[in-house]
Amino acid sequence: MTELKTVGQSVIRKDVWDKVTGEATYADDASLPTMLHMKMVFAETPHARIRKLETAAAENHPGVVAIFTAKDLPSNVMGMVTQDQQVFCDEKVRFEGDQVCAIVAETAAQANAAAKLVQIEYDDLPVLDSPFQAMESGAALIHEDKPGNLCHQVRLRVGDADAALAEADVVIEREYFTPWQEHAYLEPEAGLAYIDDEGRVTVRASGQNTHDDLRQICAALDLPEDQVRVVYGAIGGAFGGREDVSVQIALALAAWKLQRPVKIRWSREESIKGHGKRHPITIRHKWGARSDGTLLAAKTEVITDAGAYNSTSSEVLTNFYYAAIGAYQIPNVSMDGFSAFTNNVPGCAFRGFGSPQATFAAELQIEHIAEALNLDPVTIRLKNCVRDGATIATQSEIPPGVSLPALIEACANELGAEQKGNGWEMPIVESEKPHKRRGIGMAAGMKNSGFGWGFPEGSEARVVLHGQADIERVELFTAAADCGQGAHNVLAQVAAEALNVPLEVVETVTSDTATIGDAGPASASRLTIFAGQAVKQAADQALEKWHNEDRPAVGGGRWDAPLTTPPDPETGACFNSITYAYGVQAVEIEVDMETGEIEILNIVAAHDPGRAVNPQQVIGQLQGGIIQAQGWALTENFLSQGGYVQTDRLSTYLIPTSLDAVSEIKFVLLEQPDTIGPYGVRGVGEIGILLLAPALVSALHDATGVWFDRIPLTPERVISGLQTA
Amino acid sequence: MNTMKINLIVNGQSRSVEAPPGKTLLYLLRDDLDLLGTKDGCREGECGACTVLLDGEPVNACLVLAGQVDGREVVTIEGLSQNGHLHPLQRHFVEAGAVQCGFCTPGLIMSSAALLEQNPQPTEEQIRHALVGNLCRCTGYTKVFEAVQHAAEEVDRD
Repeated sequence: MTELKTVGQSVIRKDVWDKVTGEATYADDASLPTMLHMKMVFAETPHARIRKLETAAAENHPGVVAIFTAKDLPSNVMGMVTQDQQVFCDEKVRFEGDQVCAIVAETAAQANAAAKLVQIEYDDLPVLDSPFQAMESGAALIHEDKPGNLCHQVRLRVGDADAALAEADVVIEREYFTPWQEHAYLEPEAGLAYIDDEGRVTVRASGQNTHDDLRQICAALDLPEDQVRVVYGAIGGAFGGREDVSVQIALALAAWKLQRPVKIRWSREESIKGHGKRHPITIRHKWGARSDGTLLAAKTEVITDAGAYNSTSSEVLTNFYYAAIGAYQIPNVSMDGFSAFTNNVPGCAFRGFGSPQATFAAELQIEHIAEALNLDPVTIRLKNCVRDGATIATQSEIPPGVSLPALIEACANELGAEQKGNGWEMPIVESEKPHKRRGIGMAAGMKNSGFGWGFPEGSEARVVLHGQADIERVELFTAAADCGQGAHNVLAQVAAEALNVPLEVVETVTSDTATIGDAGPASASRLTIFAGQAVKQAADQALEKWHNEDRPAVGGGRWDAPLTTPPDPETGACFNSITYAYGVQAVEIEVDMETGEIEILNIVAAHDPGRAVNPQQVIGQLQGGIIQAQGWALTENFLSQGGYVQTDRLSTYLIPTSLDAVSEIKFVLLEQPDTIGPYGVRGVGEIGILLLAPALVSALHDATGVWFDRIPLTPERVISGLQTA
Repeated sequence: MNTMKINLIVNGQSRSVEAPPGKTLLYLLRDDLDLLGTKDGCREGECGACTVLLDGEPVNACLVLAGQVDGREVVTIEGLSQNGHLHPLQRHFVEAGAVQCGFCTPGLIMSSAALLEQNPQPTEEQIRHALVGNLCRCTGYTKVFEAVQHAAEEVDRD
């Protein structure tokens, strides 16, 4: 690799000094004089027609300044992909977290008290709380214009799956289910809206893309983009859950109408009920292989619970075109996917965007085939995994630089597996305790970075160089959202590298639509790659102007990524993605055969960041992803019944604690540069979360001989599974 | 609403606040004393983002009422650095990469500070137990344990 100075160094993030002293300003930490307080009134019923909305008593409550309802918005719709959601519902509500009106009062206590006086009279409608129920003929329609409650459908056909299955030596047919996952970012939704010095309606909140928020606010308020401004301060985690707007439009509306600052903060219960979740997905696989382990065919059905609105359900399902068969080459594939509307909380983006669910099912299929053919987990993966030159399910060639085979071997070696003859011998692990058993499981996967599927992809940035003889100060403007992942610092490292200046002279001016154009969202493992290229391009341009004696020297604009193409509706054929992240993980567990409790003893995580811009932060992303996967697989049991969320608190929805965190993760980082990102970087934001859940199920099978097809592996589920096996 | 005068020492300074006795210490700190480093993550004592020291003991400020802190001493994240110098925990959290979104960080640092006061050389197991009431969704905790251990080594050397 080329010798680099700043890229590749685990430099300390500039933004975290304020976070350890309490000075960092999160959405709820900003205040202004004469500020008013907002309280949202939620539907609190999952499916009903609004007969009457009575706000008079609330209006008369002391301190109440205004109540905003549907009639106050010039265009009462929102939605990132399809505008199928009302900002304030005035006809019907489709899940309990729908917003009906917003109370604005002089104090938060007054707004809260007044909200209780709002009376909504409903005519209840049948509640559909599962996608299967929603797709039954004759089911009530959640959206009148969506027959069959179908939110989205995908169809992929390559080769002849039925014929190939008929010729296969082994056929494995199983059904898998993966549940909701709550993002549980530590900072609940909050925000402050005000009119800025230039008369713009300004919203300061936590999100994943200032410009997406801006576009949705402008559309709802029917205001031009130069009259609205969105600013992010410190953001308390996101993980996909802040891609959709939550409080932004209501806040903007109130500040615009009242010409006074307005603040809101949601409680944890409001946050859990009010924002989307990782989609629950049922996957039915029928895969066939030759006796030597070569995969021949996959016939697959995918059913996802979209919840009440599309959010990004259509795009999550689209990702199954490539992800349904995991990171493998299968010449004959038939896949049908359906996403159905229900009266549950909407499914939305969550780290991995469908890939954790797809990987779970695909990796277990591989394990079952290996078991049937008496092959080891390493050999079957090496035999079938994607490699350079491979054609994937979308009938396109995978972009070059596929590091998966190398990662499988690296993970196996680190685990202590040994190559012997035609196969690999896995380490044998045994518990010393009579009531406990140990086992090892492995999983491999890939995750596309960036939007793909024909959506234009790119990012804007601007670099300004100050000084006379030498560059003394650099301003880097980017709207890239730093949700905690360290994007701002990584982008500053890219700028420092491109300019050949010390990182200390780079000042970042971030996440303010008034200062810079769209960087695209903090999603899809994309910022280091795409915002990174925009920053590098801006820095290169600025440097050229600097050499031409411009003072200050300014470079920047939009960097456009190479194009992808949309899937063919009949076959799914397309060039879906220009870059992937790869990873392989193995886990050793100990299971208590009497209680069903699973303890993770150690994990090996082999990943390829292409080029780690900041190795410490790369490890941080992977560790964070792994423990979120641990929560999803073991303890996070999100419950909803009849459209009502049962686990709306952190005392009932159990994310991993310091006692749960696995003590030993061995990381193996192979840096095989990619061709798309600056300096060869790949996205690492999501890949870490894809692999642990299937690896845990395989380890549990290794320990007990019993297969599980769904998570979370709560002690109750494990005991019940062991008893019925 | 009835209010009472509450006298307390916050970060070494005597403060007097007129507040309803049922107001939580969390919002006494945030709204009345403008100490915003103490975070509201759940209001039920689960997440620990509001951890402060009350007479030296770590407590969830969301579960303590204003009326209970009259005459007592509170230390928040803003009071941890002394004479302009960061507490070793603050520096080691930064250096170890133990901070991502940072919303849980003040609470984690306050719980860690209480631990090191009582046990200057904790084992990793003891650190895990001391931090079990502080949820972090970003880091996976490993780097947090490292940071506390590094800070303990430094405190021990001094």
